[in-house]
Amino acid sequence: MNGVSSAPLLDRVEDYFVGTFRAMASPCSVLVDTDDPTEAEALLAVAEEEARRIEEKFSRYRRGNLVDQINHSNGRPIDVDEEAALLINYAVTCYAMSDGMFDITSGVLRQVWTFDGSSRVPSRDAVRNCLRHVGWWRVGWKQPTLTLPAGMEIDFGGIGKEYAVDRAAVLIGQRTRSSYVVNFGGDLYMSGPRRGSRTWGVGVDDPDRTGEVALYRLDVSRGGFATSGDASRFVRRRGKRLGHILNPKTGWPVDGAPRSITVFGRTCMEAGTLSTLAYLQGPRARQYLEKQDVQFWIV
Amino acid sequence: MRLQLEPAKPASALRDILHTAALALLLVPGAAKAADTDPTDRIDFTTLLYGEQSRTQIFEPVVRFTHLMSDGQWVSGQLGIDVITGSSPTGALPSGIVQTRTSASGRTITSPAGQIPMAPFKDRRVSLDGQWQRPWGRLVSSTLGGHFSREKDYQSFGVDGKFSTDLMHRLLNITIGGGVSRDSVFPVGGTPAGLSAGTIIHTGSNAKNVSNVLLGASRILSRVWMVSVNGTRTFESGYLTEPYKLITVENRVTGAPVSSLTDKRPSTRDRSSVLLSSVYHLTDDVVYTSYRYYWDTWNVRSHTIDLKYRRVLDADTYVEPLLRYYQQSSASFYTVGLIQGAPLPEYGTSDYRLGKLRTITVGGTFGFRAGDVPGSFTVRGQYMRQAGDGSPPNAIGIQRNFDLSPSISIFSAVVGYTFDY
Repeated sequence: MNGVSSAPLLDRVEDYFVGTFRAMASPCSVLVDTDDPTEAEALLAVAEEEARRIEEKFSRYRRGNLVDQINHSNGRPIDVDEEAALLINYAVTCYAMSDGMFDITSGVLRQVWTFDGSSRVPSRDAVRNCLRHVGWWRVGWKQPTLTLPAGMEIDFGGIGKEYAVDRAAVLIGQRTRSSYVVNFGGDLYMSGPRRGSRTWGVGVDDPDRTGEVALYRLDVSRGGFATSGDASRFVRRRGKRLGHILNPKTGWPVDGAPRSITVFGRTCMEAGTLSTLAYLQGPRARQYLEKQDVQFWIV
Repeated sequence: MRLQLEPAKPASALRDILHTAALALLLVPGAAKAADTDPTDRIDFTTLLYGEQSRTQIFEPVVRFTHLMSDGQWVSGQLGIDVITGSSPTGALPSGIVQTRTSASGRTITSPAGQIPMAPFKDRRVSLDGQWQRPWGRLVSSTLGGHFSREKDYQSFGVDGKFSTDLMHRLLNITIGGGVSRDSVFPVGGTPAGLSAGTIIHTGSNAKNVSNVLLGASRILSRVWMVSVNGTRTFESGYLTEPYKLITVENRVTGAPVSSLTDKRPSTRDRSSVLLSSVYHLTDDVVYTSYRYYWDTWNVRSHTIDLKYRRVLDADTYVEPLLRYYQQSSASFYTVGLIQGAPLPEYGTSDYRLGKLRTITVGGTFGFRAGDVPGSFTVRGQYMRQAGDGSPPNAIGIQRNFDLSPSISIFSAVVGYTFDY
């Protein structure tokens, strides 16, 4: 959908409701398997409110929020609340489990990289200078106190959307017994089979024709989906596409990775983290996922 | 990539770790509004109920208050009151006849024929504890503590401190600490001379000094496994004797009790222990194992093996069964009785706690939340079976007819409530 409107919309499709809104720079939707429009509307409101709350709090583009305070702390210790601490702990787990490839401090590299489909590639020196401000190991973290050296930034972009999906799913699940799907920009969670033992169908898009052609249609009932890839954000170098996922150790885009990796996990966060970690493996992504005992689709 | 270098690791370990980490984040009640309700104070209430089968009963309510400061410091204070009632073996041996003795406080105590003589007691103990921890930079923290406790015939006052530092990207933690305690023992009715018939030598207090050092290291081996090793050394000096314990003097041939003498222990004791422990996280559950070896200059050696398994039932509920085995050798001066007419040893005790001992403990903890009540509850129950050496080879005459160290059962229950606000 090309939603420009930010007001939520509710539509009846066949025998379920679809609510849509825009948040986190993505089209978001909530599907509820019910005949009751008030229920669907209430659940849509819950999802939208949670998506906006998380975006407000964790987006690095908002002035004055927690992430902004941290990124402008100039090396002063900052105390974070419990939710932020748990999110940081999650990121630390990912950092440790990927031997430093998943790093929430790597966002600084975007100062030199612009993924607009052009051929603008930064100089090696620019990347090298930038790398001095990258690396979770430079950060002091003793819950609840975070000490970020001056010049560094943190960015929850790699897990924030998946977190929002799962949080919205938890909140909706506390309020309904109807089956539902939370889909924020293609990262989604579905709660279980629909009425009459039917399943929600999920399509995996062709990376070149997002939203137009589904390469696979999956019929699963409960769990989270997330996709990592270079569908829309890349640069070209010597005719080669370089995706927007950067290797925090080299400062360069991960080379040789598949166009898109979709993973099905128990939560959207698990799926999103695994797809990102696999993508960071470059050409070994498939091998990596095969070891994880997880359902995945590589395009 | 670490996972590719370790093919032994189960394929789904990473998934499980991510899943657990995600659940920890998603299932926090009210994570959504955590921003404005960050708890900074915590109160714990616990009540211990302890009962040895027809011996000691203890009722011990404790209140602990912890205040967390925004810069990572915390202080805590604890008030505890123990009410102890019951009776404890005097150390004297059983006989075929009713035994009568006069207690230090002038009361007459009779013990039924064929039973281990016991001394009844009732005591109340009040204890105060305080601790202050502060971080120094991001890798070092210090803790300072103090305690005071007082009961009818014992007082303890001490301070302790420790330093802890994280090394190797926080995979290794080293702790160094120590403490001193100045204690006084003032037996009711005065202090008896050691190995005497009960002659009171003075009615003042006796000093007992305790100092200890500890060194510990814990190492994170993987995201799910941590091991640690801790060593302690404790030096005790001063009055270490138990003023109310007795040793029976028995007839050389018949073994019949003739008289009894007071307990006497050396005035120094160096104690050492080494503890090895491991904490292993399964997907949700946790396995704790530990082994402790203890030795001292009284020649007591002990082994303790502990197994605990925390089974997480859901976000708010867990059960944790416990199994513990403890085995101890007797002190070099431990004796079941002294023989009439034989020369007196330099030291002697018949206190079962310094004799050969073996205990097995089974128990469990259940943790839960109650509906909308804030805070969490724990209920812990333990059953301990203690057996000594009931028929030592040197038992004489009629003493062979008695179980000199009958097995006893000990029950304890603790109810705890923790509340953050």
